[in-house]
Amino acid sequence: MKAQTVPPNTMQRLRRNIGKALHHGDRIWQWLTIGAGIGVALLLLGIGWMLWRDSADARSAFGLGFLAPTADASWNPVLDKFEAWPFIYGTLITSAVALLLAIPISVGIGIFLAELCPSWLRLPLGWMLELLAAIPSVVFGLWGIFVFLPEVVEPLGTFLAGTLGLLPGIGALFAGPIPASGASRLAAALILTIMIVPTISAVTRDVFLAIPRSQREAAYALGATEWETISQVLVPYGLSGVLGAVILGLGRALGETMAVTMVIGNSIGGAVSLLRPGYTMSSIIANEFAEAVSRLHSQALIEIGFLLFIVTLLVNMAARFLVWRVARRTPQEGRA
Amino acid sequence: MGKKMFLVMTGLCTAVLLSACGTAAPATVEVTRSVNQTVVVTPTADPNAAAPLPAGSVQINGAGATFPLPVYSAWTFAYQYVDPSVVINYQGIGSGGGKKAIIDGTVDFAGSDSLLKDEEYTSGKDLQMYPMLAGAVVPIYNIKWAKEIPSGTKLPVMILDRQTLVDIYNAKVVTWNDAKILATNPDLAEYLPGEAITAVHRSDGSGTTEIFTKSLTAFSPEWTAGGASAVEWPVDKAGNGMGGKGNQGVAAAVINTPNSIGYVELSYAVSNGMSYASMVNKAGKIVVASAESMSSAMSDFAGSFSEKLTADIVDAPGALSWPIAGYTYIILHTENMSDCIKAQKLLEFLRWALTDPGAAKQASDLGYSVLPEDVRDTVLGKLGEVTCNGTVLLP
Repeated sequence: MKAQTVPPNTMQRLRRNIGKALHHGDRIWQWLTIGAGIGVALLLLGIGWMLWRDSADARSAFGLGFLAPTADASWNPVLDKFEAWPFIYGTLITSAVALLLAIPISVGIGIFLAELCPSWLRLPLGWMLELLAAIPSVVFGLWGIFVFLPEVVEPLGTFLAGTLGLLPGIGALFAGPIPASGASRLAAALILTIMIVPTISAVTRDVFLAIPRSQREAAYALGATEWETISQVLVPYGLSGVLGAVILGLGRALGETMAVTMVIGNSIGGAVSLLRPGYTMSSIIANEFAEAVSRLHSQALIEIGFLLFIVTLLVNMAARFLVWRVARRTPQEGRA
Repeated sequence: MGKKMFLVMTGLCTAVLLSACGTAAPATVEVTRSVNQTVVVTPTADPNAAAPLPAGSVQINGAGATFPLPVYSAWTFAYQYVDPSVVINYQGIGSGGGKKAIIDGTVDFAGSDSLLKDEEYTSGKDLQMYPMLAGAVVPIYNIKWAKEIPSGTKLPVMILDRQTLVDIYNAKVVTWNDAKILATNPDLAEYLPGEAITAVHRSDGSGTTEIFTKSLTAFSPEWTAGGASAVEWPVDKAGNGMGGKGNQGVAAAVINTPNSIGYVELSYAVSNGMSYASMVNKAGKIVVASAESMSSAMSDFAGSFSEKLTADIVDAPGALSWPIAGYTYIILHTENMSDCIKAQKLLEFLRWALTDPGAAKQASDLGYSVLPEDVRDTVLGKLGEVTCNGTVLLP
């Protein structure tokens, strides 16, 4: 009704002018997206800066010795003496083992789902995979404590201690005995494996599904078997995508807190062995931050948070670089 | 005004008003918080009875220790039937967080299991601590007996002396058939295995750990790791330690690890049916953790409160006293509370919690030890000194 009080052509002109000034919405859209993009960057820098600032006292008190790999590291809130090595080691070793186990399994699953799986099975299997990825980590932790650890990890650990544990050199990694509850670095690594397999395999599957049909047809036309097609053509073609999937998995493994805290045993002893209880960077923060009363204690925890932030950042950057290298190389090889 | 009797049933979460009757005469209200514990609470007389405040008009916020959270929730729930004008909110964010919040002035009261430091008193000049309840910590154990237990017999509960407990967490006593353990448990001699002891502790910083490690410090000079909410465990360094998150994490680790020992709140051990050890106390007597032995421990130290009303009640000397115990405190500003009505209502709530038999029953049903009379009177006396704009709030 109101529109009729203004002459129609005036109204139209006004709208046209506003439209022109805003490039018919393009400007607003541009501002919004630029704002969102800058917001993410600012958020990242802000978090990093906050962690850096709030750990100043701990950094000046402990210096680089905080990170030094020592067998007899100390984490003593009573005496305010903190060294982070047991946690750094725990995070690195559990993530590394998890990745080592998860890569072949999940690439296998990805290839199966994309290439070999009968089509009636593909959809339900894919759903289940995605459901597995969606299970909250605390549920994995509970299942770990009551089922997986006593039933699988403990017997496996006992077996490993009796076989690999006797070897010189590498034996130190498998020195037993594993606690009867199964709580150990190995348990954390295996739980992490289970948690990152769905992530990696779902992405791997999508990568393989995205490979053009022509690549497969060309290989078959040349007389390649199914195995040769997959290993010689599809895997090299999809390598950069698979690497990206692995990075996603690694990111989850490095930062995973709850499930690991519940199964790793939370003890700073146990030397280097996978079969003994350990600790990770995220676990110590989750465990102690709420009741860290002394200033140095909370600052030391924040410094560990900063380290975790940097480690994750570095790993992601290294991975991007790797993906970029592979992606640049692949088409050239294809042409050769 | 006649005293109204309120029948309050406490339990878990939801509230159902079963019946509210009697408009003029003294009323009885039955309140169900599900499950089946029943207590009777008596309301404090409303001093503003002539002009009662509207329901829910006074919001009181508290935060802090998680250890007393279950009973504070039960109390605040029951209290809305005692004084409907008050809504009390308590968040379990940890003692450290609670102390920070009361110093920063973001809450009206804080709960804490650990004490304020001297420098924290200077940053909040009128802070005062008030013991509300005490908690007992008990050693729990899970042993795979070396010998089949003959059917029809029941093994006696393990008895540990104070030095042995220190030795276990110092990794000096490392097997269950160590002579020191056998000395106090002759009846268990043939059943105790020669297996290594896994000693479980809290991985998260906690008041339970503070009580436990303060006790170990009092038990023996050989315990050098100190008494705090998180310590560096010698048994961890020896490779035989394990950390569990929360009471339930420790309990799960002990249940799942044969030949292990751990420590949890008494209420937790009782409600989960776990075997917990008896202790030989300072007086050389064997005691079981219970309301009586806790009450005795508190009375032993009733005269040793500091000006800030803090006291360690570990390693009590009385013959009946449980040796591993600690207070949980409320922290208040004693002079500078901004809102006098709020301050008044808060103090009334605290007085109710300390004196009402229903509140006491709620606490003991949940496994807490209520203050013995001598201690309670000291606390009430201190509460009576709180002022707002120069006027005493609790007459």
